[in-house]
Amino acid sequence: MKTVEIAEQERLQVKQENIIQMPLGLLGFERIKKFVLLANPEEAPFMWLQMLDNANQGFVVVPPSSVLPNYAPDISSQDIEFLGIRAATDALVLNIVTVRGGEATVNLKGPIVVNRNTLVAKQCIPVNVANFSLQQPLAAIPVAA
Amino acid sequence: MLVLSRKVNENIVIDGRIIVKVVRTEGNFVKLGIEAPPDVPVHRQEIYDEIQKSNQAALTVGRPNAGQLRPAKPGPSTPVDPASSTPSPK
Repeated sequence: MKTVEIAEQERLQVKQENIIQMPLGLLGFERIKKFVLLANPEEAPFMWLQMLDNANQGFVVVPPSSVLPNYAPDISSQDIEFLGIRAATDALVLNIVTVRGGEATVNLKGPIVVNRNTLVAKQCIPVNVANFSLQQPLAAIPVAA
Repeated sequence: MLVLSRKVNENIVIDGRIIVKVVRTEGNFVKLGIEAPPDVPVHRQEIYDEIQKSNQAALTVGRPNAGQLRPAKPGPSTPVDPASSTPSPK
């Protein structure tokens, strides 16, 4: 099976230090616990959160700072503790982008918070989730095709 | 599932630290008050369902220009500016 071969090759190239561990997976993808963050400079600020064991599947993600500077999710103390985050600079926030018919939206209700030091990550539901959109349009922002 | 009957203004205590109070009923609506420590996330079930559906819609199979992708280490040396995207710990 070709897909598996690709995944195997990809796995060899991925260094341990680049593997993002999501012990709880993503909501709806609870069994997928290992991801790799990939980027193409031409597509910045968008990045590609790829399943480690399936090089063909993943999610387009974006650091919200580059598209929504005022976005301030209030991450619960339980999540902060789970992730082992001690300082704000320990955290990398990524939001999942959905592309439907050429229109891109970003999910602000379920940010992925990554501990930069341990690379442990979790899709968090912010305490102030009611303030955010599930489908924030990115129309005003130049989206790499 | 444990099923309990409660009157308006009566409480249920969970784990000695979470209090669920029936505040008001109105037809099909039951208004609940929940007192929980800050380390206990309380959300409507719909939030989880919405995010789950959104994730499923966002799943991308096959990536154009996949050959140009390079590992982006999310460590401290990453070029991504975290300054305004950092969560504020409660």
